Amino acid sequence: MTTTMARKTEKNTARKPSQPHVRLHWRIRLRRDKSLVIMTIPAVVLLLVFNYAPLFGLITAFQYYDPLVGVWHSPWAGLEQFTTLVQDSLFWGALKNTLYLSLVQLILFFPIPIALALLLNTVLSERLRNLIQSIVYLPHFFSWVLTITIFQQMLGGAGVLNQFLRQHGAGTWDIMTNSNTFALLVTSQAVWKEAGWGIIVFLAALAAIDTHLYEAAAVDGAGRWRRMWHITLPGMRGVIVLLLVLRLGNALTVGFEQLLLQRVAVGHNAADVLDTFSFYYGIATNNYSYGAAAGLFKSVISLLLIWGANKLAHFFGEDGLYRR
Amino acid sequence: MSTAVPLRQRRSDKRPVWEEPPTAATTTGKSAALTLVAAAVLVPLWIIVVTSLSTQAAVNRAGGLVIWPDGLTVSAYREMLADPTVRTAVLVSLSITLVGTGVSMVVSVLCAYGLSRARSYGHRPILTLLVVTMFVSGGLIPTFLVVTGLGGYGRYWALILPSAVSVFNILVLRSFYAGTSAELIDAARMDGAGDWRTLWSVVLPTSRAVTAVITLFYAVGYWNAFFNVMLYMPTESQKWPLQYVLLTYVNRGNGLPGSVNSGFGNAHAETAPLSLQMAVVVLTLVPLLVVYPFMQKHFRTGVLTGAIKG
Amino acid sequence: MTSDMNRRTLLSTAAAVAGTVAMAPLLSACGDGGQSTGGASTKKGLKTALPSFAPNSSLKPDIPSVAGGADIATDPGFLTYPAQQARTVDGVPGKGGSYTAVTPLWGTVPSPSNSFYQAMNKALGVDLKIKPTDGNNYLTIIPTMTSAKKLPDWLQLPAWWNSGFNTGGLAGTQLADLTPYLAGDKIKKYPNLAAIPSGAWQAGSWGNKIYGIPSYSSSCVVAGTTFYRRDILDAKGITADQITSAADLFALGKELTDAKRGVWAFDDVWTYLFPFWGVPNKWKVENGKLINKYETPEFLDALDWHYKLAKSGSMHPDALAGQEASASTRFYSGKVLISGGGTGAWNLTDQQSGSAANKDYRRGAFDVFAADGTSRPSLFLGNSTGVISYLNRGLGKDQIEELLAVADYLAAPYGSAEYTMVNFGVEGVHHTMVKGVPTFTDAGKKYVQPQTYSFLASCPQVVSNPGADQVTRDFTAWQAANVKYLYKPVFWNMNISLPASLATADAAQSVEDTIKDCCHGKQKVSDVQAAIAAWKSSGTRLKNWLTTNVLEKYGTGQ
Repeated sequence: MTTTMARKTEKNTARKPSQPHVRLHWRIRLRRDKSLVIMTIPAVVLLLVFNYAPLFGLITAFQYYDPLVGVWHSPWAGLEQFTTLVQDSLFWGALKNTLYLSLVQLILFFPIPIALALLLNTVLSERLRNLIQSIVYLPHFFSWVLTITIFQQMLGGAGVLNQFLRQHGAGTWDIMTNSNTFALLVTSQAVWKEAGWGIIVFLAALAAIDTHLYEAAAVDGAGRWRRMWHITLPGMRGVIVLLLVLRLGNALTVGFEQLLLQRVAVGHNAADVLDTFSFYYGIATNNYSYGAAAGLFKSVISLLLIWGANKLAHFFGEDGLYRR
Repeated sequence: MSTAVPLRQRRSDKRPVWEEPPTAATTTGKSAALTLVAAAVLVPLWIIVVTSLSTQAAVNRAGGLVIWPDGLTVSAYREMLADPTVRTAVLVSLSITLVGTGVSMVVSVLCAYGLSRARSYGHRPILTLLVVTMFVSGGLIPTFLVVTGLGGYGRYWALILPSAVSVFNILVLRSFYAGTSAELIDAARMDGAGDWRTLWSVVLPTSRAVTAVITLFYAVGYWNAFFNVMLYMPTESQKWPLQYVLLTYVNRGNGLPGSVNSGFGNAHAETAPLSLQMAVVVLTLVPLLVVYPFMQKHFRTGVLTGAIKG
Repeated sequence: MTSDMNRRTLLSTAAAVAGTVAMAPLLSACGDGGQSTGGASTKKGLKTALPSFAPNSSLKPDIPSVAGGADIATDPGFLTYPAQQARTVDGVPGKGGSYTAVTPLWGTVPSPSNSFYQAMNKALGVDLKIKPTDGNNYLTIIPTMTSAKKLPDWLQLPAWWNSGFNTGGLAGTQLADLTPYLAGDKIKKYPNLAAIPSGAWQAGSWGNKIYGIPSYSSSCVVAGTTFYRRDILDAKGITADQITSAADLFALGKELTDAKRGVWAFDDVWTYLFPFWGVPNKWKVENGKLINKYETPEFLDALDWHYKLAKSGSMHPDALAGQEASASTRFYSGKVLISGGGTGAWNLTDQQSGSAANKDYRRGAFDVFAADGTSRPSLFLGNSTGVISYLNRGLGKDQIEELLAVADYLAAPYGSAEYTMVNFGVEGVHHTMVKGVPTFTDAGKKYVQPQTYSFLASCPQVVSNPGADQVTRDFTAWQAANVKYLYKPVFWNMNISLPASLATADAAQSVEDTIKDCCHGKQKVSDVQAAIAAWKSSGTRLKNWLTTNVLEKYGTGQ
C-alpha cells in the first residue's frame, strides 16, 4: 500500500475564504443532489409519522380538554389558558428558576466534560485511560432517585459528613435542604452524573484529529498549550459549537426529574421550573389544557432561542446547526 | 480504481519523541485530579454493590444504603436470575437492541450524510424539519393514538420505530461528516464515485469513532428503554424486555396506598427491597462494562487524512 | 446534559412523572377517594340500586368485630385457620368462557401460564387470563388504554385514582352497568358478594347505578395513623397512653432525639395528625353551610405545630429532605421512632422485615387523642374500599353473569375452601399446613400473588397474620380502642361529578404545595394563609357549585 501524506495544518485552523456563491437553478441542484435528498427520506418519513402527526394534540392548549371526550369534542377556550398563564405568578417564578439554573449550569457544567476529555487525552497509558473512561461514564446509568439518595446519604443532615462533624463537636453543614445554594447542588449532581458520559462525543472528536498535526506543530516549536489552542480545540470546535447551540435552545429544560425529587427538600418556590410547573399545575391536577399551554409556550420560546443561538454562531463565523 | 484509504495509526503508550516531558507539578496535579474523579464514582459504586449483597438484617442495621459489609447474601441476584421471565426478557432486549440500533444507524447515517454537504438541495428545510421536533411535541396521548392507529399496540415495532430517529444523534453525525476533508470527497468524486459510494468508502471509514459513539448512544437507548413498553404492551408480561421486568423488582412493595394492606399472604421478605433495587442497578451496569471496551477500540485510532491510494 | 439529549433522558423523565403521580395518593389523597367525576348518587335513587346485605358468618372470628357508629365496625381478627374448610360455592362457577383481566401489581409479575393460574382456571371453570400490570405506572397505562378503547373484559381501577382515570366518565361508556344483575335481592344469586356491606358497593356506584365490584372492603378505614417503635419505647418505660396531647407528643420528640447517635424521634407525620386538632377531611357542614378545611382555625393550629416540629430538630433530616422511599428502612433500623403511615402496613410482612435485624421489633400506634388533651377526639372514616373492579361494557348478558359468578367465588369468606384456593393455592403444591396455618411453598411464593384474583373481588377485610399473632392482636386492639371516635365525614362514599373548570380549585395545588413546604419548615404559616387567600375566589366557586349541585340535592352522605 502506498500512501502519501498531505500535511494540512490549515485544515483545522482556517477556513478557505468562501468563494463567490453562484446560485444554480434548482433543477440542476436537485439533479446533482438527488442521492443526498433520497438519503434523508427514511428519517423524514419517520419524523412526519411519529412526531408531526401527533402535533394535533397541540390544539388542547386552546381547549378545556377532557380526556374522555377527546381532542375533537372538547370545548374551546380560545386563548384563555394563555392569559391565565401570563397572570400566574407561579409560572413566572418557575420561568425565573429555569433560566437561573440554566445559566449556572451553562457556566459551571458545560465546560467540564470538555476539560475532562482534554485531561484524559493527555494520559499516555492506554489502559489507564480506558479504565478511567469506563469508570466515569457509569453514573449516567444511575437513576436520579439513586443519585439523590447517594448525595443525601453522603452530604445530608444525617449523612456521613454531617454525622462526622456532629460527633466531633463541629457544626453541621446544611447542603441538601438549603434553598439558597440549591443551584450549586443541582449543578454538582448533574456534573457527577453526566460529565463522564458527556466526554464521549469529545473523545470521538479528539480521535478524529490527525496526530501528525501535533508533530508538525511541535517541530515548528509550538509548546504544549499552543498545540492545544491551535490544534486540539479547533479540532473539537464544530461539535462544541453544535452542543452549545443546542444547550442554548434547551435553556428552558433543566433536569425535570432531579428537581421533582428535591422539591420537598428545598421548597417548591426554589425548585419549580417550567417542566415541573406544567406537571404539577397541569397533568397532575387534571388541568391538561393548562399544562399544554405552558408546554406550547415553552416550545415557541425554545424555537426562538435555538434560532437566535444559531444566528449568534453565524455571527461569530461558526456553522452552528447549518452553514450560512 | 483508486479509493481514499485512511491509514489508522496506533497511538502507543510511549511518549512521542517530539513531545516534551511534563513537569513534576503537572504530573502531580493530573494524578490528583484523575484520582479524585475516579473516587467520586468508585465510592458510591462500592456502596451500591455492597448493598445489593446485603441481608435484610444488614440493611436494617444500616438504615439505608450499606457502606461497610455486614452480613452478605446473593439472594437478590439469585431471585432475579432464577426468574424465567427475566431470562426470556434478556433475549427480547438483545433482539430489540440489535434490530433497533441497526434501523436507527442506517436511517441516521444516511440522513446525516444527506444533510452534510454545504448548499446541497433542500438541506435547510429538511434540517429545520428535524430540529423543530426537538422542541415541539404533540404529547403522550396523541403519539399513542397515532401508533395505535397504525396497529402498533402490542407489536414490537412500536418499541422501535417511534423512537428510531434521534435528531440529536443525526446532528452530531452530520457535524463530523461536514468536517470530513473536502479533498477526500472531491477525489472520490473525480474517481467517479457517487454519493452512496463516497459515504460507504470514504466518509464512514474516516469517521469510525463517531460511528461507534452514536451506535453506543442508540444501543444504550434501546437497551434501557421501558416507557414505550409501558404504553404499548403493558399487560403482556411474556413480551417485556429486561428493563421493564427489572422495574417490577425495583417497585416491589412500593406504591400501594397506605390504607390498602400490602401484606396479604405476601411473605416474600427474605430479600430487602433496597438490596433488590441495588442488584438491579448492578445488573444494568454489567452489559455496559462488557460492551464499552469494544467501543474504546475506535478511540485510539487517529486518522491520517489525505491518504490517497494511487 | 451536554451530549445527553437522547431518548433515554426523555424516557426516564416521563417514567418519573408516572411514578410520582403514583406516589401522590400516599401523601395526600388517602381520605379523598370520593372527589371524582361522574354523577353523584341520590340517597333514594341509590337505595333501589344498592344490593341487599346478607352477611354469611360461617366462621366465628377469634377476635370479634367491635361496632362503632352506624356502618362503622372493626375488622374481625383470626388467629387460627380451619382444618375443615367449608365450601360456599357449588360446582364450578364458570361455563368455559374466555376472558382477560387486568390488575395493578406492585411487585414482580408471575409467569403467564403458571401452575396457580392453571389451578384457578380449573376451579373457576373459565379461561381467565390474568394480566397483572405495573402498579406504579398504572395511572399512565389505563388512560392510554381507554383513549384507544382497549380495555380488557375485567379491570381493577383503584378508587384513589378515580379522577385520573375519569372512572365516572367511563362508567356507562366503557364499563358495564351491573345494577340489573345485583340490585336489591338480585344479588342473592351470589351469596358471597351479598356479604359485602352496602357502603362498599356505594363506593363503586355512579349516578344511582352500580358499576364496581369491591375488594377488601372494611367498615373501619382510616386514612392513616401515627406509628411508633413499641419495642424501643417500652424499653424506655414509655407507653402510648402517657401521650395525651400534642404538647406531650412534641416533648416526647425532644426526649427521644439523639442526633449524635443518629436517632431522631420523628419521620414525616404530615397529614396523619391533622384530625387530632379536629381538622375535617376536606369539608364540614355548619348550620347547613359547607366549610372547607382551609377555612377552619383548627387547620392553622395543626399547621403551626407541624412547622414547629420541623424546626425543632426532632425530625430526621432525610424526612425533611423528602426521602420517602427509605422511610420504612429508617423505621426498621430505629433511626426514627415515630412515623406516619397507612394502617395497611401493620401486617405479617412488616413484622418479618422489622424483626430481621431486631427480633424484638414491634409496631405500635398512638391512640387518637385531641391536640389540647381535653376535648373529645374524633377521626373521620375513610371510604369503605379503594380497590374496585369493573366489567367491560362490551360483554353480553351471559358473560357478565358468568364473571359475576366467578367474582362470587373470589369473594368467599375467610377460611372457606374457595378462600384457601384464591389466597394460598393448592395444598401440597402452593402451600402446606404448618402448625395449623397455611404456609407458602416456594412455588406458592412465586405464583400466588394477592394482587391478582383478590383485586378483582374479595370478602370484607379480616385481620389475619398466620405466624405473627401478636400483630393481629395489636392491630385489632388498636381498632377496638379507636372505633368509638370514628365519624362519617361530609360526602362519605360519594362519587361526585366535578366539571373540568373546577378541577384546579379542587386540587388547590398551590395551597397544598405551600402546606407541604410549611410542614417541612420551608415556609411559614403566614405563607400558607396567603396561599389560601389567593385560592379563596376559586375555592368559593367550588363551594357554591358543591352546595347547589351536591349538598342541596343529595345531602352530606353522612
